[in-house]
Amino acid sequence: MERKEIFEKLNEIFCDVLDLDEVELTDTTCADDIEEWDSLSHIQLIVAIEKAYGIKFTSLEIMKWKNVGEMVDSIMSK
Amino acid sequence: MVVNSINFLLFFIVVFLVYYMPVVSQRKNLQNIWILITSYFFYGFVDWKMLPLLFSVTVVFYLLGAWLKASMNSNKSRLASRITTLGVVLGVGLLLYFKYLNFFADSFASLLQAVGISASWSTLNIVLPIGVSFFTFKLISYVIEIHRERIQPAESFIEFATYIAFFPTILSGPIDRPNKFLPQLRKNHQFDYNLAVDGCQQILWGIFTKMVIADTIALITTEAWTNFSSKDASYLLYAVLLSPVQVYADFDGYSNMAIGVGKILGFNVTKNFNHPLLARNVSEYWRRWHMSLTSWITDYVFMPLNIAFRNLATLGLFLAICINLVVIGLWHGANWTYALFGFYHSLLFIPLICFGKFGKNKKLKQGRWGLPLMKDLAMMILTYVLVAFGQVIFFATDVPSISSFISTVASGSWNMSFLFDISTLLPIPMAIFLFCLDWTSRKKEFAIQRASRIYTNKTINILILDLFIALIVAFFGYNGQGSFIYFNF
Repeated sequence: MERKEIFEKLNEIFCDVLDLDEVELTDTTCADDIEEWDSLSHIQLIVAIEKAYGIKFTSLEIMKWKNVGEMVDSIMSK
Repeated sequence: MVVNSINFLLFFIVVFLVYYMPVVSQRKNLQNIWILITSYFFYGFVDWKMLPLLFSVTVVFYLLGAWLKASMNSNKSRLASRITTLGVVLGVGLLLYFKYLNFFADSFASLLQAVGISASWSTLNIVLPIGVSFFTFKLISYVIEIHRERIQPAESFIEFATYIAFFPTILSGPIDRPNKFLPQLRKNHQFDYNLAVDGCQQILWGIFTKMVIADTIALITTEAWTNFSSKDASYLLYAVLLSPVQVYADFDGYSNMAIGVGKILGFNVTKNFNHPLLARNVSEYWRRWHMSLTSWITDYVFMPLNIAFRNLATLGLFLAICINLVVIGLWHGANWTYALFGFYHSLLFIPLICFGKFGKNKKLKQGRWGLPLMKDLAMMILTYVLVAFGQVIFFATDVPSISSFISTVASGSWNMSFLFDISTLLPIPMAIFLFCLDWTSRKKEFAIQRASRIYTNKTINILILDLFIALIVAFFGYNGQGSFIYFNF
C-alpha cells in the first residue's frame, strides 16, 4: 500500500465519520487541528479504519499515536 | 501544616530564602535537593511515620522506570509491557491496601452473610497515608508515560523524588504529570518577579475563596448533612443548592494556593479548575472540574476502556463512561456512596450520548450587555442543580442516609424563616458573586489575575498589598474554621 493511497482513503473516512465536506490530512495533522475530532469521534474513526482495511490495532498502538502520520505508519505495518 | 497557616508561612520563608540564594539558584541540582529536603520535612511534619513509605515507593518506581527504558532500548517489548503492568499493579495495590482493604473485606463479609454464610474478621488497623491518592497517581503515570514513549525517564533519582514529593502539591494535588513537570526540574530557577507576584495573587485568591466563601457556606451545609433529620425540608434544599459552590470554593481555593506557591518557586503547576460553574452539561462539568484527576483517569482508564469496548458502539461508550466515573467516585474514598455518586453522574451522560452532545463543547459566546446567552445560562443552571443533587450522595455517610435525606426533604415541612437571618442569607450573594466572577474571568487562570506588565505600576502594587492585608484579615476572621475537604481523600 502506498502512503499516498492511505492518505486519500483516510481523507474519505474522516469526511464520512466527522461529517466534513473536505479534509486534507497530512503527517502532522492532529486532533487539535480539526474541531470535530474529539475523544468520541476518535474511537469512531478507529473502528471505521479497522473495518476499511480489515485490520485490528492494539490499544498501545492507538495510545502512542500523536498525529495522522503515526496512524498511517501503523496501517502500513499491518 | 496547611498553606493558610502561620507554620507554613514560616516554613515557606526559609524555603524561599535558601532556594534563591545565589549559590543555590545557580545550580539546578542544589535547588532540586533543597526542594526535596524541604518536601520531605513538610510531609514528615504532617505524618512522619509515612516518610519511609514515601521514600521506598519512590525508589521502587525510579528503578522500574530505568528498567523499563532499558528493556525498550533493547527492543524487549514484551518485557517492557510486563514492567509497566508491574508498575500499575504496584501502584493500584498500594492504593487498595491503604485505602480500600477494610472496605472490600467488610463488603465481602456482608455479601457472604447475605447468601447465608457467616463470615466475620477483625478489621485491620491500617493508617491511611496522607496524600497517597495523589502521589500514587504520579507514580503510575510515570511508568505508563515512559512505556507510551511520551517521556524519557528522570535524569536522576533526585529529580524523580522531587517530582513525587513536591511539597505544594503532595497533600492534595493538583496531580502533576511527568510530561510537564520533569522538564521544569531540569533547569535552574531564577527569581521571576512577575511570576511570583502572579503566584502571590493566586494564593490570595485561594485564601479568599476558602476562608470567606467556602467556610461561610460550610456552616450551613455541615449542619444539614449531620443533623438532617431535625431540619426543615427548605433548609436542607437550601444547603444542597449551596454545596457545589462550597466544594468548588474550598478545593479551588486549595488548588490556587498550591499553584501560587509553585509559581513563587518558578514552577508551573497544572491547572485544576476551569470555571466549572459555567458548565452547560455534565460532560463539560467534568472537563472543568478537578481537571488534574479527570484528565488522569480519562487517559489511563477511560481511553483504554473506550478503545477496548469500541465495537460495542454507544453501549461501549456508556460502559467506559460509567466505569470511569465510578472509579473517580471511589478515588475519593472507600464508601459505596462514592461509587453511587459516580454512577449517578454516568446516568446524566445518557441524554448527552443519545443527542450527540458528548464530546468537544462549543466555546461560550457573549450575549447582550456582556452576559451569557440565555440558552447557555439556562443550561448552566440546570447542570448546577443536577450536580447539587449529586452532592447529597457524595456527602452521605452511607447509602441508607441518602434515602433518609431524600425522604426528609420530601416529607418535611417548609419554613423559610431561616432566610431572615443575615448569616444564613449571606451565601446567596457569595454564590452569585462567584458565578459572576467565573463568567467575567473565564479567559483567566483565576479571578483576580492581571497581565504581568501591570505590575510595573506602583499603584497597582499597593492595591495588591491592600488586598493582601484585607484577605489576611479575612483569614484571621475565620481562623480555626474547617480543614480542606480534599485533605480527606
